[in-house]
Amino acid sequence: MRDFPLNIVSPFPAKPAANGHAAVHIAPIGDGFVFHVLGNAGATEGSLKKLINDIAPELGGALCSPSPHQWFWIGSCEVSQDRFAEILAKLPDGFAMTDQTHGRVRMAVSGVKVRDVLAKGTMIDLAPDVFAVGQSAMTQIGQIGAMITRTDDDCFEIMVLRSFAVSLWDELHHMAAEFK
Amino acid sequence: MSSLVKCPHCGLRPREEFAIRGEVATPRPKAGADESAWFDHVYLRDNPRGEHREYWHHAGGCRRWLVLSRNTVTHDISDVVDASTLKVGGDA
Ligand SMILES: [Zn+2]
Repeated sequence: MRDFPLNIVSPFPAKPAANGHAAVHIAPIGDGFVFHVLGNAGATEGSLKKLINDIAPELGGALCSPSPHQWFWIGSCEVSQDRFAEILAKLPDGFAMTDQTHGRVRMAVSGVKVRDVLAKGTMIDLAPDVFAVGQSAMTQIGQIGAMITRTDDDCFEIMVLRSFAVSLWDELHHMAAEFK
Repeated sequence: MSSLVKCPHCGLRPREEFAIRGEVATPRPKAGADESAWFDHVYLRDNPRGEHREYWHHAGGCRRWLVLSRNTVTHDISDVVDASTLKVGGDA
């Protein structure tokens, strides 16, 4: 357990939404939480979902898995540090969890040209009939490790380590510049 | 070299996402084995023409260590498994 409270501060410039393009919209996702859950070899997504439903049904959110027996539990509500400690205390053996809300930064990229933009940086196939809504993948955008999740028809969420967020933010705008 | 690798966890991925760490060494010699056995294990690599087993780390994806069977002549990849599956036999 950490010894001091974490300050969650946006890494982006003051008015980042002002940089949107007509066919591509890039926006930071400032609110919400990101918890990193590790499970032992027997842990399954089903068992974790049930667990979450039992101990913290009010948080909702979704699970995406970057690696076997690992999940990011991502939701849109604010979770106080006391509440996090409570949830942590109820976690059974076989699971471990850390609050990564301060350490992972999310951004939303959407619009009709979103796949053309992302194709410049990532090598995975994001075609609508290949990469379904709700699907996610841990991959790279350029040399930056990123978790890409499809949230709607032409909407993707990208999550990166905080220290890469501004770099990726600038890169996404370069990649989208031709659609201005 | 084949540009797409089928990670058992992530599916088809470009090889740029992987770090290649060389051949899967023979099992570790017993503690009392003579010096030549240890020298072979630590320093000598086979560099075969044909089938080769290599450690690949999926650094840009699931970050799991994989064992990849690759033909060094054709570059065909015949098999990719998670390195932890080698432990089942007890000799990895
Ligand atoms: Zn992988």
